Amino acid sequence: MMSLRRDLVGNEVAGGSVAPQNRSRGRLHRRPLGGPRWVGWAFVLPGLIGLAVFIVIPQVASLVLGFSESTLLGGIEFTGTQNFVRLLRDPQFLNSVLVTAIFVLVYVPANIAISMAMALWLKTRIAGRNWLRVIFLIPALSPMVANAAVFRLLFQKDGAINQLLTGIGLGPVPWLSDGNWALAVVIGVSLWQSFGYNMIVLGAGIDSISPDVIAASRIDGAGRLRRFFAITLPLVSPALFFTTVLTVIGAWQTFAQAYVITGGGPGNSTMTIMLYLYQTAFTNDQLGYASAIATVLFVIIAIFTLFQLWGQRKWVHYD
Amino acid sequence: MKSLTKVGRKRRVSAAVAVAGVLALGLAACSGGGSSSGLDGKTLKMYTWIGGKADRQQWSDYIAGGKHADPKMAVSFSGPPINDYYTKLPTVMKSSSAPCLVTFQNGRVGQYVQGLEPLDELAKKNKVDLKAYSSAMLEQLSVKGKLYSIPFNAGPTVVLYNKKLFAAAGIADPKNDWTVDDFIAAAKATTKDGVYGFAIPQGSNPISTIMAADGHPYADSKGPKLDDPNFKDALQLLVDLSNKYKVAKPLEAAAGGSFPDIDAFSTGQAAMEMQGLWDLQHEQQALGKDNVGIAVIPSKTGTSKGFIGGSGFGITKTCGDKQKAFKAIEAMTSKSGLEYVTKAQASVPARLDALDAWSTNVGSPAFASVIKQMTGDATPSPVPSNQAQLDTLLTQYEVNAFSGKSTVSEVLAQVKAGLAQ
Repeated sequence: MMSLRRDLVGNEVAGGSVAPQNRSRGRLHRRPLGGPRWVGWAFVLPGLIGLAVFIVIPQVASLVLGFSESTLLGGIEFTGTQNFVRLLRDPQFLNSVLVTAIFVLVYVPANIAISMAMALWLKTRIAGRNWLRVIFLIPALSPMVANAAVFRLLFQKDGAINQLLTGIGLGPVPWLSDGNWALAVVIGVSLWQSFGYNMIVLGAGIDSISPDVIAASRIDGAGRLRRFFAITLPLVSPALFFTTVLTVIGAWQTFAQAYVITGGGPGNSTMTIMLYLYQTAFTNDQLGYASAIATVLFVIIAIFTLFQLWGQRKWVHYD
Repeated sequence: MKSLTKVGRKRRVSAAVAVAGVLALGLAACSGGGSSSGLDGKTLKMYTWIGGKADRQQWSDYIAGGKHADPKMAVSFSGPPINDYYTKLPTVMKSSSAPCLVTFQNGRVGQYVQGLEPLDELAKKNKVDLKAYSSAMLEQLSVKGKLYSIPFNAGPTVVLYNKKLFAAAGIADPKNDWTVDDFIAAAKATTKDGVYGFAIPQGSNPISTIMAADGHPYADSKGPKLDDPNFKDALQLLVDLSNKYKVAKPLEAAAGGSFPDIDAFSTGQAAMEMQGLWDLQHEQQALGKDNVGIAVIPSKTGTSKGFIGGSGFGITKTCGDKQKAFKAIEAMTSKSGLEYVTKAQASVPARLDALDAWSTNVGSPAFASVIKQMTGDATPSPVPSNQAQLDTLLTQYEVNAFSGKSTVSEVLAQVKAGLAQ
């Protein structure tokens, strides 16, 4: 599948890497569009200011605060690595890492599998498939807090779901009073909310596969499974990679579902890292410690993302 | 070449300085604290909890009461619902749009004193007689001997009951000397046809109220008394109401700051609830004015004491005109101001000299006798600075006692461990 092609300025591109330019040309001082240099900066500056104010400065401030003891209304006292050492011995934090890891391990594969299955289903010639796409996307467009509040009512001891299950002899289930069931509810609601977005992205990837390729594989005698694994999956792999990276990042940052449906309980069975961070900062008023948690979460997400970027070379095909 | 590089470097440095200056100016604008800080022209800005129409009406009534006492007073208000209020408050107090006035409920000033102006000097300067206010409330709203909030509402926690459901079960209205056994008997009698006798509230408030009824404060200067056997007994009673007596729905995992007990009572799914008197008007609107009764908190002996959890106004440290802000508080909590409020609001005024007007305008003689007992003989208790954390942890862990996964002692040990983090 690997091939050489030329990018827009004529560099040879191989397997996602850019071949170095001819060194003899030296540093490129020409500006292809002409005009003074400040014009370019003027175009870039609004974006740079936004990046600095909303991304870089808060990130740096959070990193610095992580090395301090500070409250929302009080001063800042730098305490070195004390917060990070404390994190390693904090059973509540370690539990939140475990809960979030379980969430990621269950939610991400389930989300990708459901999204892919739905995208493939909607590729078939079923009536009203465009309407179905819109319907499945609606949960992703509606606010998570509102959705979660409705689901909390549905999953109560005497809520509609238990009434239904009791009616067919399968209930009641302790959805919100047992830790394992509560985590299952949080994962289930998250799946319901977000699979529509991935379904659309993967669907677009599937739609872009040339019908000729599929027809050729049919002529060659490939069955449905063979076609999926040998044709569809490799050709949709860039979209699959994109959705997986974003879904993993979102999963590590899960907050609203647990905050609204369970408040982290029963006990700390649904206490995600983000919810613990929020409680530490705004309920316990320990801004420095919360910033240390944010830094660790950032590192965890960065490691997972870099691992995925490194791994994509082995399974993502861009042609 | 060398000079050109120098010029380029100088330009880059100048550009960097200019960008840094712009950013610094922007950030400086966030710190607030000028002479107009917290005011919108001549109008004082107040940040408070607004959960809906009822809250909006309440604050409009207090402002109208203040205007009645001092026509020059001008206060505007804004804010989020109560479950978001305390988490947003410190951020708002730190922002460039920090208000002059803030409000506190259940004496929860401890966590915010770093951003609040002590009011003792202002009270002295303006010759305000603090003895006119409920002393239990003044104590709750003080930290280390300094007063940070003037109370406007001394709403004690009471039992609210559905009169129709009591009558249908053949139960007489509770008397002021009813005991825990009487309470359980009433809850048993009213539990039928899908209706529970009692709706259990989340968090520490029901525990502190049950403890106070028998004269035991739930906290002291060191914090919540989780090792006190009375604390354990109070939580055990709540668990027993669900698991042993089957007169209440067990608590389930829920977001902190939500009120499933109020929802159950106001929709007729529970015959009794234990809430602050601030909820009375809402329940009267939901169930009918003559259908809601109030009773003292049941005690073991029958001589119940009250748990005061009222509200007060405070002034932010960044307020540009603290004298004006204090005058507004003085007006809104004056005798005539609070008497005016009782014409529209059911909440009990924090001034003892406005209680008669409350009895006349809002309550019945039966209501007045309950309030007098709950406010006149209250169990004084400090509100710990980690109150929000206590409520969050209790809400999370007590569910395990209701589901039978943990004992009450284990729950309290888990809460204690969480508070120690």
